[in-house]
Amino acid sequence: MSVSEDFSREAEPGRGAPRFIPPRQHFFEILGSVSNSQAAVLAVLGVVGWLGAWELVHFFTPEAHQKFVPGPGQVISEIFHLIVEKNFVPDVGKSLYRVYLSFAVACLVAVPLGLFMGAFVKVKALINPTVGGWRYLPAASFVPLLLVYFGPTDLAKLTLLFLGCVFFLIALILDDVLSVPKELIESAQTMGASRGHIICRVIFPAAAPRILDSMRNMIAVSWTYLVIAEIVAATDGIGAVMMRASRFFHVETIMAGILVIGILGVMTDIIFRQASRILFPYTFMRR
Amino acid sequence: MKLVEPRHPAAFDNNSIAGQSYNQLEAPICVDRVTKEYLGGRRTALDAVSVDINANQVTALIGPSGCGKTTLLRLIAGLEYPTYGDVKMHGKSIRGPGPERGMVFQAYTSFPWLTVAENVARGMKIQGVPKKEQQERAEHFLRLVHLEEFARSYPIELSGGMKQRVAIARALAQNPEVLLLDEPFGALDAQVTWEMEEMVVEIIEREAKTIILVTHDIQEAIYLADRIIFFTRQPGRIKADLQMDFKNGRRFLKKEDLLAEPGYLDMEKQLYSMMREEIKGQTS
Ligand SMILES: Nc1ncnc2c1ncn2[C@@H]1O[C@H](COP(=O)(O)OP(=O)(O)OP(=O)(O)O)[C@@H](O)[C@H]1O
Ligand SMILES: [Mg+2]
Repeated sequence: MSVSEDFSREAEPGRGAPRFIPPRQHFFEILGSVSNSQAAVLAVLGVVGWLGAWELVHFFTPEAHQKFVPGPGQVISEIFHLIVEKNFVPDVGKSLYRVYLSFAVACLVAVPLGLFMGAFVKVKALINPTVGGWRYLPAASFVPLLLVYFGPTDLAKLTLLFLGCVFFLIALILDDVLSVPKELIESAQTMGASRGHIICRVIFPAAAPRILDSMRNMIAVSWTYLVIAEIVAATDGIGAVMMRASRFFHVETIMAGILVIGILGVMTDIIFRQASRILFPYTFMRR
Repeated sequence: MKLVEPRHPAAFDNNSIAGQSYNQLEAPICVDRVTKEYLGGRRTALDAVSVDINANQVTALIGPSGCGKTTLLRLIAGLEYPTYGDVKMHGKSIRGPGPERGMVFQAYTSFPWLTVAENVARGMKIQGVPKKEQQERAEHFLRLVHLEEFARSYPIELSGGMKQRVAIARALAQNPEVLLLDEPFGALDAQVTWEMEEMVVEIIEREAKTIILVTHDIQEAIYLADRIIFFTRQPGRIKADLQMDFKNGRRFLKKEDLLAEPGYLDMEKQLYSMMREEIKGQTS
């Protein structure tokens, strides 16, 4: 890198040779490249195209049913209406709090468990068969049980959200830990590293970028459970607002809720990606 | 036999880090009638192998692919245990890996989340070497492998050859009594391999070390080793144990100087015909 820089400073760029014009890239270029500005334009095009398709569906819906298929404009203005008139922000806050808190607790359980199972085969043999089975139980089926135990409390909702993702999270993190190259661990052993050092200073940092990725994927699932959690005897939160709206056939409010959840989900995703860039810069240097 | 030479000032008393006090002339590693079976005895990787590894020598293990070279190295490293027999270090049975036996693996093993300098210092950190000394020695060994400019880079920014140099610097910095190299240049192209081989000679000149080098490159073995142990293909047995007497204990900083040495061609020819015998044995 430094060598080529020195070169270009010495003489004019290219030393007199004409700039090479690479062949124009096809839109469907295999392994093609995309500049940041191109990516931004394409992303906006995608969103606009999607909104346009939605608007078309709304437009061609017969007059009598249009109430049930509001257009994007109506839904977006409904979001502002909700925020300004219906005190929607605390509901959003409540939903965010539920998703993030339950997810944080799930991570606190899943990371050490996945780490220990990945590091110690016997711990894995002890725990994994049980955890593996739990994954197949649909979280929604715990709703009646949680209502009996906790009633229509916040705790019931947090527990449901927790149950919805923790077992998958454990399985994913276990995979991440198991995919740490054996040679990395063995070379630490030949340096005389203790077990504690190997787990905390080798396996964990080696698996951490993938673990964060798994978290990013699982928190999306958490968002999908949010509505189930808040539909059941909820008084606040985005899901509760949507549930109330459904009783009065306020379709645009329901759709506004869906859209808000989508936006929050995308924002969560971006936060996780940024965190990954900041925490693990070395994984982004060459791709 | 060559005794320990004076070392770099930033270095250390020989016994302070991983190395324990030991007699220079004694064989530090004794492999005693070792048989290693895999798959519940259906595959024998090593068959009753006995060998003493001498101190401050480079011993090359060579033989066809699958003959158990890596297996033997892993047994010495303590990463695996023999099925029969015993591997001893200074008379004591090896019961696990330890910092006195540093290893460079065939695959890249730099820690990607640490900078090059931190990678090199990691072994010392584990052993509780004071911070300042860690830095000094990391610098010293990075200079030795010509990577001082990349101290602050991450491994992902390095080429394959550079990564392997980091691995060598890291293993040396931990100051092991025995250095185990498993085809350290196997993944590199010919020209880089050649550079690295000369670098190793340079290092051996400065830091007297007991080195066990696994390779399947005949020329590399002759160039670097004081002694070559040739293995037969499955099951691995010792076919020949050759002293590189023609070198008269000299080391050649330039590889081409070796080629002019009387006796070199005979040695190479002998090893090639042994290798051919082994390959023939496989096809018949
Ligand atoms: N974990 C294992 N399970 C089963 N068989 C194994 C295992 N490790 C090694 N072997 C077998 O033992 C034999 C020796 O393997 P080893 O890796 O020591 O060979 P090698 O001499 O290092 O070969 P190469 O030059 O290709 O690296 C091979 O036949 C291999 O298939
Ligand atoms: Mg091998």
